[in-house]
Amino acid sequence: MSSAAHNAYLNTRVAGKATQLFRAGDMERFVQLGLPELGQQFGLGTILEEPGSARLKSRAVEQALMQVLLEELTVLIRPMHAAERGLVVAWARQFALFNLKTLLRGKIRQLDPQEIRENLYDLPPQVRLSNEDLFRVENAVELLRLLESGPLSLLARQAREIYEKRQEPFALEAAIDQRYYADMVRRVARLEDSTTQRQMRMLVGSLVDRANVLWLLRFRFGYDLSPSETFYQLVPSPHLLHRERLLELVGLDDQPKVIAALPEPLRSQLLDANNLMEIQRRLGRYLTGIAWSALRSGQSGVGRALAYLILREADLRLMFTLIQGRLLQLPDAYVDLALGLSPAICVHQWREAA
Amino acid sequence: MLRPQPMKHVRILVLREDLPQASLTLADMESFHPDPRQPQEQQLTPLQDCRYQKKFQQARSRLDKIAQVVPVPEPDLSEIRVVGLDELTETNAWLGEAWNFCLEHQEGFRELEEAERLLDEEEAALANFAELHVDLGMLRTKTRFLDYYIGVVPRENVHRLEGALGLAGHLLFTYMERSENAHVVIVGPTGGKESELGSVLSDAGFQAIPLPQGLDDSPEAIRAEQRARRERIERERADLAEEVETCSSDMRERLARAATVLVLAEPFVSLDPAIRSAGQLACIAGWVPAKGVADLEQRLSETLSHGFSLDSRKPRADERPLVPTVPVRHRLLQPFAMLVKQYGTPRYGEIDPTLLFTITFLLMFGTMFGDVGHGAVLALLAWIFRKPLGRFYIFGVMAGLSSVVFGLLFGSVFGYKELLPALWMSPLYDPILMLQLALGWGVFFITLACGLTIYNRFAINEPMAAVFGHHGVVNLLFYLGLVWGGVSIALTGSFGLVQAGLVISSLLALAVYNWFHLEASLGEKILVVLIETLETVIGYVSNTLSFLRVAAFSINHVALMIAVLTLAGMMGAVGHVLMVVFGNIFVMVLEGVIVTIQVMRLQYYEGFSRYFSGDGREFSPLRLRRRPRAA
Repeated sequence: MSSAAHNAYLNTRVAGKATQLFRAGDMERFVQLGLPELGQQFGLGTILEEPGSARLKSRAVEQALMQVLLEELTVLIRPMHAAERGLVVAWARQFALFNLKTLLRGKIRQLDPQEIRENLYDLPPQVRLSNEDLFRVENAVELLRLLESGPLSLLARQAREIYEKRQEPFALEAAIDQRYYADMVRRVARLEDSTTQRQMRMLVGSLVDRANVLWLLRFRFGYDLSPSETFYQLVPSPHLLHRERLLELVGLDDQPKVIAALPEPLRSQLLDANNLMEIQRRLGRYLTGIAWSALRSGQSGVGRALAYLILREADLRLMFTLIQGRLLQLPDAYVDLALGLSPAICVHQWREAA
Repeated sequence: MLRPQPMKHVRILVLREDLPQASLTLADMESFHPDPRQPQEQQLTPLQDCRYQKKFQQARSRLDKIAQVVPVPEPDLSEIRVVGLDELTETNAWLGEAWNFCLEHQEGFRELEEAERLLDEEEAALANFAELHVDLGMLRTKTRFLDYYIGVVPRENVHRLEGALGLAGHLLFTYMERSENAHVVIVGPTGGKESELGSVLSDAGFQAIPLPQGLDDSPEAIRAEQRARRERIERERADLAEEVETCSSDMRERLARAATVLVLAEPFVSLDPAIRSAGQLACIAGWVPAKGVADLEQRLSETLSHGFSLDSRKPRADERPLVPTVPVRHRLLQPFAMLVKQYGTPRYGEIDPTLLFTITFLLMFGTMFGDVGHGAVLALLAWIFRKPLGRFYIFGVMAGLSSVVFGLLFGSVFGYKELLPALWMSPLYDPILMLQLALGWGVFFITLACGLTIYNRFAINEPMAAVFGHHGVVNLLFYLGLVWGGVSIALTGSFGLVQAGLVISSLLALAVYNWFHLEASLGEKILVVLIETLETVIGYVSNTLSFLRVAAFSINHVALMIAVLTLAGMMGAVGHVLMVVFGNIFVMVLEGVIVTIQVMRLQYYEGFSRYFSGDGREFSPLRLRRRPRAA
């Protein structure tokens, strides 16, 4: 198949799938539905009707929704060229990294292997962690040693060195996340097609920008790290928050100054956000906006496919939040808060909101 | 050999305390395939106490990991005995210690590797410094105003580290790059920022290179010091290896005991999904070959200390997809069974295609690769390399012998026609006859495949599918009508009324059946029925023509050899010999591979896809693992 044919095929596939994405007002409508109706609407009836604890059902729902996303990913990457496929699979590797972090946390806390296994996602072969041996290790260092012999070798080696020096999962997980985004940025730079690269710079760059703003605020003002320590944890983005801008931002000494110094449109999006949860939510909205624009008017089939997957993931996460809220019988105010249907507030205000 | 071995569903009721012994007996008999389905009795529930299973899993994993470091002896199964939870717990604890020992030593080896790597980097750095005309001794001590760090950083971290250090008022210079590391010098003002700097350097994977004392010594003295350090590393490595060797021989006996304990404990764990219990009573369900049920009952009565009950029954119709199929065990058919298994396992009740596959494979391979010399070489090579090929060598020997037989029929020895008189004729003497025979073979093969499809569908109680389904009775009637018509055209010049009637009526019957089994709108129904009917006609015609390749390759084989011998004839004495030898090797390798692929394609696509669902379950009985896992 020629490049144009690939693009046409992919565009058709994406256009067909995009009809499933939530539109304005959909979420408000779903909130009115009870658990059985939600199950019926999203094909989760069997899981929700089966006997079992709320935790087990919630887990099964999460796995089923993730399966939906990853099956769509498998279909969409099929016509892509190797480099493009590699980039989209690298994006999906976030789920494998969830598993890796679960394994690490489990091994650090010396949890029962069965308990760890129950908390892992079942992933397709393209994104899953290498082998069964990972489950048989007895501690975090052994796990990282084992990973050193696989495709995550450099990440594992550095993570192990960090963990051996500072026995804390935070540094480990920060290194894993940092490597994840850096890998995607590197893959974007390697794309040959200029149209695809331009669109991917914006899309992947927005993903990285979102992570950078959150990390910057959290590390600098939450964990009180120095500018140099904070900068080292960030990933220069190919879109807005490039290296020089990050160097300027980490030097600022409070949150409002950082937000005021952000480039547009990030600055105006976050200007009056007064807590991290609200910032996170607005950043999510910012990313969704970029993805919608790429999906509607993007020239590259691969870019549109990734935009669709980003939007689909966001939708499925919202759906999972709603179903979990129903399973745990949380008050509607909490669920609305988690879904972003009511303004974000600080933790101590939650009880009043409920 | 074609019909599956009859199976029975067996349900054994035992006291819970007898479960480990019952598992061992079942494993020792190697005739019990566990059935994990939930029984109808609601009061029977899975075993709640999983301690045994958990201990076993951990111990097994530890032993497997140990086996990758030190050799684990074979288990001693001279005495088949029950392993209790206490013994298993004790074995697991010991294996934990043994694994920790292995882990510590592995870490020791890694640390030595790391030290060696750092020494390499240090040597490279000093070689680089040798070009500089500065007092390097100054770099080892911090000055009053300046802080120095010399070391290596992964290359991909350099740029970020440079930015981060800049924020802390330090400068980074890269003076050399080696493989994935960059050698850097970091300089900055002293005081205040050590901890901040330390944290960033640690996150960046910075490794300081220790500058040796006496940098102002002669290069020979420094090199001698480095050589001494390298020798020390080698010595430590040898000591560590010796220590591992000594400890592993000390552990040998204990490891053998642990391996034995795990092999004896495994059946109970493997059987766990098929065990249900209620109070003191436990129920084990599974599938057993009908002829082995009496032996199993006898053996259980000999080994169990309390009473038990064993019920057996024939599989119900709805259970057929769950019943395991016992694979063909004949030694000569083993390699062919492996090829059949690549496609799938026959469903219980279906005909096992291994024997048919073997016969048709050998016939087609021999026809397409018929040469006494080539066949003999193939068989001989398979025999010589029988060890690395394992059971697969039989495949090579039989394929080679088949070539020899057809070579005798065609009168060909390494392409020479004069050495042996042909028992029949060379394929090139009458290519039309060869093509006609291939076509006839194709008709026979497809008819046979359809016949097997029909039999299999009746066997698994799907009569409608047997009559109207793909490659069912109606399809076969259509095909035979078509072939009959084709033969009539060749002989008399006309298709024939009866033949046409047979073809049209069977196609109509298929169309009507499809029409009533399709749930779609009128337009879609018309479209689907038309396309499916057309596809039936095209499919059978093209599938039959597909067999022409059998003749084509047999002719091709002769033609290639003629080309080789013609080229050889154009050369001198030495050239002639070389051409004949290398030409034969070329033809054997190239054609051998192509013919094998073509025959497999005919088998899988024209044969298996018709009559062999391949979605059965292989009989996998509970058994004692008599050999340790490969390291």
